[in-house]
Amino acid sequence: MKNGIKRTKETLHEALSGQTGRPLYSREALDAIRRGFDQWMETVVREADRDHWRKTPHTVLGSDAPRELLYTPLSDPDFDYERDLGNAGEPPFTRGIHANMYRGREFTMRQLTGFGSPEQTNERLKFMLDHGATGLNILFDLPTIQMYDSDDPFAVGQVGMSGVCVDSVEDMARLFKDVPLDEVTISIVTHYPSNTAILFPMFLALAEERGIPWENLKGSVQNDITLEELIRSGSEYIPPKDCFRIQCDNIEFIRKHVPKWNFVTLNGYNLREFGTSAITEMAVAVLNGMEILEELVRRGYEVDSVADRLAFFWSAANDFFEEVARIRAVRRLWYKIVKYRFHAQNPRAMLMRCHVQTSGVCLIQEEPRNNIIRSAYHALAAVLGGAQSLHVDSYDEAYSVPTEEAALLSLRTQQILQKETGVTEVVDPLGGSFYVEALTREIENRILEEIDEIEALGGYVKAIEGGQVYEKVATYFSDQQRLIEAGEIPVVGQNVYRSAAQGPPIDVFQYPEGVEERQKDRLQKLRLNRDNDKVQTTLNALKDACQKGKNILPYSVACARARCTEGELFKVFKDAFGLWKPPALF
Amino acid sequence: MTKKIKVLLAKLGLDVHNRGIITVAKALSRAGMEVVYLGNALPAEIVSVAIQEDADVVGVSSLGGAHISLGSLLLKEAEERGLKDKMAFVMGGVFAPSDGERLKDMGFDGVFVPGATSEQIVSGIQNLA
Repeated sequence: MKNGIKRTKETLHEALSGQTGRPLYSREALDAIRRGFDQWMETVVREADRDHWRKTPHTVLGSDAPRELLYTPLSDPDFDYERDLGNAGEPPFTRGIHANMYRGREFTMRQLTGFGSPEQTNERLKFMLDHGATGLNILFDLPTIQMYDSDDPFAVGQVGMSGVCVDSVEDMARLFKDVPLDEVTISIVTHYPSNTAILFPMFLALAEERGIPWENLKGSVQNDITLEELIRSGSEYIPPKDCFRIQCDNIEFIRKHVPKWNFVTLNGYNLREFGTSAITEMAVAVLNGMEILEELVRRGYEVDSVADRLAFFWSAANDFFEEVARIRAVRRLWYKIVKYRFHAQNPRAMLMRCHVQTSGVCLIQEEPRNNIIRSAYHALAAVLGGAQSLHVDSYDEAYSVPTEEAALLSLRTQQILQKETGVTEVVDPLGGSFYVEALTREIENRILEEIDEIEALGGYVKAIEGGQVYEKVATYFSDQQRLIEAGEIPVVGQNVYRSAAQGPPIDVFQYPEGVEERQKDRLQKLRLNRDNDKVQTTLNALKDACQKGKNILPYSVACARARCTEGELFKVFKDAFGLWKPPALF
Repeated sequence: MTKKIKVLLAKLGLDVHNRGIITVAKALSRAGMEVVYLGNALPAEIVSVAIQEDADVVGVSSLGGAHISLGSLLLKEAEERGLKDKMAFVMGGVFAPSDGERLKDMGFDGVFVPGATSEQIVSGIQNLA
């Protein structure tokens, strides 16, 4: 955010304060309710409850927003149905982005999959599709995420652990063998802008080799600076401003050439799981979204043509109603921002679409089967909040990557919600609840306050460089740890109702062995058999594009076609941009 | 006469999850220990820095599945450079309970799993130093 630009809070305040509302409750009704309420408070409510009318629930990853004992129309006397809620699929979209929500389209059941060799993950993908999964989420191993080849010294001992290894377009082909790329929606969990610019071109080159036009591909990449520069712990970082530029290069290229593909997943999830509050999670992702819109407008794009494909990614944690309210709140806030700050015209551009994953940090090792219950509540909150797609964490994730049995149980949790509980029949079933509406408003205000704080520091990218966001997160998670250890955040089986017997042991996924050796052999063969002159030419052209400020994607696609490896491309980025040292947290 | 306990902490390999180790670093330093946090590093570098810093305890964190592979490399490296009897090696992270036992059998002096409290980690390390 450049100097001189009005801050978001102020902009919204000015745009909205002039609007005359139509409050739902008449003065007369409110007066009568007030009289009855005061009398009830005096005569019925016990003194102890009166004294502690507002109480702050301490929950894992919660907002610490205080709650009243009972909510009434008096909690939000100016409540205006059209202004604050509207019908589903209509501004301000509090009730959902579609008029018919889940009756029209069921939430996509997306489970993360990835471990071992590309062939091993391919087997699991087919298993999930055979059992009714409607989307695929591909998770990579650490060397792939961190952009090192499987034979790099940095990769030793980590190839194929906790994700699948992909070094080149040839591994991409093994990973998606027999998977119809144009029929399933595929979420490629690339995490960072840098590895999105490396791995997604491999996917595009594969589609090309199979004769599938890019226009037919449907899915998403993460492509998020928060993951690369803030959450990540790694050995080498490129500077935040260059990372932000790659993020926008990815968006620009995908928008133009892969029109059905979601080019960024504004990630709140991983930041929250790293250890931040229900509020900061959303403030940060919204800020990133705003800076992306600003940059793409600067590059000459209409705000509508970019905003209509932005997607968000949220975590669902323990405080049930807060989780429902949060999704509703940020949907309304995002609408206001895109409309009043960016002056978008197309209502589709104002929609906050989101994928929700249940919280992994809320799952614990003690009595692991309890985690099934936790995740089911998280999932229910996400659905009541109106999420577009869902991943349910598996109960064994406090130990390892899920076993096949645990992964299936997660999928079943979703299917039971969708088919048995009836919760998808009615749109926004909690809308109009005095409590949920008051909480939605409170959370929206808090998110806007935190956005304002970071804008005051010069904007999001600046606040990453300056270390202030990092500091905020670290303070929050240290406090959470202290509260859990002090028993102030109750965790069943850990600090309350702790039982001596741990129950029968569970099966834990065993990481496959031998993947590293096989992958090293493959790389060696690849390097012998490809046209190495072409490899060098395409890598040089990429470096040139990095340095001259051209969109790098056409060049990284050329690299993928030439069978360059991931590590080779990352090296180009490091050479072109130099390395950055993140602020020391400790 | 009491010398401050010196602890070298590192993320093992490329693992991205550093919340736990930062929390531990803060807890140890609050408990009066001298903490050096190396960030992400491979076994050879960890051992070199441990010698350089003359650490009493080396603590590594792994939540990405490389606890056995990189853990055994770390111990091998420490053994080869004659550190195994001079310093204590501990590991924390996310892994199967049977792997926790396996790490101890391999030679780790302490293993901490999720749910371990700051107090347990602090006293565990004090006892080893």
